[in-house]
Amino acid sequence: MHIPDGYLSPATCAVAGAAMVPVIGIACSRAKKVVKDRHAPLLALGAAYSFLVMMFNVPIPGGTTAHAVGAVLIAVLLGPWAAVVCVSVALVIQALFFGDGGVLALGANTFNMAFVMPFAGYGVYRLLTRNTSLASRRRALAAGIGGYVGLNVAAFCAATELGLQPVLFHTANGTPLYAPFHLAQTIPAMALAHLTAAGAAEFILTVGIVAYLQRANLPLLRINHAGIVDTDAELAPQSGRPALRWALIGIATMIVLSPLGLLAPGGAYGEDAPGGLDLHTYGLSAIPSGLQHYNGFWKHKLLGDYGFSSGRHANLGYVVSAIAGAMAVGAVIFLFIAGVRLIARRRPNVQTGSV
Amino acid sequence: MIRNASTPSWLLESETGAFPIGCSGRRRRGSAIEKTIDGFAGVARQALLSEEIAARRGLLQRLDARAKLLGVLALLLAAGLVRDIPVLLGLYGLTLVLAAASRIGLRWFVKRVWLFIPLFTGVIVAPAMFSFVTPGEVVLPLGHWFGHEVGLTRQGLTSMGLIVSRVATSISLVVLLTLTTSWPRLLSALRALLAPRLIVLVLGMAYRYLFVLLDAVSEMITARRARTVSSRKDGRGARVVAGFSGGALFGKAHALSEEIHQAMLARGYRGEARLLERSSLCIADGVWLAACLSLALLTIGGDRALGL
Repeated sequence: MHIPDGYLSPATCAVAGAAMVPVIGIACSRAKKVVKDRHAPLLALGAAYSFLVMMFNVPIPGGTTAHAVGAVLIAVLLGPWAAVVCVSVALVIQALFFGDGGVLALGANTFNMAFVMPFAGYGVYRLLTRNTSLASRRRALAAGIGGYVGLNVAAFCAATELGLQPVLFHTANGTPLYAPFHLAQTIPAMALAHLTAAGAAEFILTVGIVAYLQRANLPLLRINHAGIVDTDAELAPQSGRPALRWALIGIATMIVLSPLGLLAPGGAYGEDAPGGLDLHTYGLSAIPSGLQHYNGFWKHKLLGDYGFSSGRHANLGYVVSAIAGAMAVGAVIFLFIAGVRLIARRRPNVQTGSV
Repeated sequence: MIRNASTPSWLLESETGAFPIGCSGRRRRGSAIEKTIDGFAGVARQALLSEEIAARRGLLQRLDARAKLLGVLALLLAAGLVRDIPVLLGLYGLTLVLAAASRIGLRWFVKRVWLFIPLFTGVIVAPAMFSFVTPGEVVLPLGHWFGHEVGLTRQGLTSMGLIVSRVATSISLVVLLTLTTSWPRLLSALRALLAPRLIVLVLGMAYRYLFVLLDAVSEMITARRARTVSSRKDGRGARVVAGFSGGALFGKAHALSEEIHQAMLARGYRGEARLLERSSLCIADGVWLAACLSLALLTIGGDRALGL
């Protein structure tokens, strides 16, 4: 994933570099808070550690090798801002001393591996470790999943940067000036390598190290997990309310975003009326009679095509349809659960454990 | 060139004949690990060599690190903006001249630059020569595929030539900079060019302690292999060991960082880093910087004037 100089246009490098300037600035001040006054040596060792992790190459069947980055691991151990500093420093040493990754491309490389990766992975880790103790098995697994997700998001960013080059920078006769592959080629190529071998390496490494530290060296994990209890037994019981609130927030967001579907060109496959079918592609000369008969046998539509019958205010129509649909589905589920509870209460001999 | 230098010869030899510990007739499982250990040796070797080359008396070694860094950045930018293969080759030729003037063995320099990234780039970019990746004027037809003419296109070949020569030129420039500048000077140059203080401090320490950690990992791997009797493949065991070793290594690194911090405090560290050397710019640095900037402008201007 280390992009060398020459693959990206200087303009792309400048944009990525400009994006990284404030990130590095904030990271320097925020990292000190987690690692306290010992910051310089601990960050330096973190950087050296990250450098070492990137040196362990796993052979891929294609003949090349892949390696883990360890950015999410450092984010879990020292916090995401410290991971930004550590991985950036490791990348600078690699670029300057070992020609691994370019100097002009440092902005893009640090953006992918030292910014996007630790934050994406750490976000997943935090989401999956809500209300768990420091020694719980879920925490190690969550770190591994975070590493896997973070690596793949970073690879996707790198693939996008590379794939945009021939579109944005080419001569009048179509000669690509920088990396020549298009998005349709870079994204599958990067995804294939990182969803399989590199992702697996990152997952195994992150899970293994966090699980080991949970058993053997819990104080190391406490650096970035202040205020989290050590064992599951010490966890305070939580009510189910926050889950309901988050579910409602998620549904509301989806309702607001529902008109986005209007932007998409073309129709969804298999959802069009039979009139919209291209019959020739299926070797048909007419719409089958059964399909014709049952299509449209229900005539009492309230919001046909997710809009008003007048066809105006398409966005509003979508939102109203989404609210009506969500309420209808919610009502059906509510009635179903109420019915199940009623039946369960009528038969006291059936054991009803709390769900 | 290198043979005469003071680097011990055993360090320059590749470690292909590493003594196989245990009764491993076929070393399938160990190959990736062995390559990594070879990589460690390579890192140490490179670091030693670049320190040694930076101490030689050559053209680039005499210049101030700040001027050198700025000049190389200007030339890198020029190499990035140029759109003509002959111009890029001219820039590449210039790096060879600079290398020779800085007393770097040319054969070794070319080998160091071209292995591995430009060659690797050539392999990766090779499919872009064909018309199904880069459509355009077919210069070498290779047949037909569903009615379309398939072959090497002019655009694809030009693009490949451009990217390989650009990558080689860029890497040559960076290698020139780092080979002729000692790490502390490069760091002070970075600091002078407004890199954050913490980043420069961490860079310096990370580079220093990288070798300590490299040693620790090599020892851990050797110890593991010394305890391994069977050559049987054990994926699960290997994964568990990887996790344990990584965790133990982080523990070691943390303990080391505590010790370093206490040592720093004992020597009066108050959160400010000070450097011993105070370098000043001289006329040669000014000349070099002016030459680099004008050359960069000239190549970009000439390239645009040639037009494509």
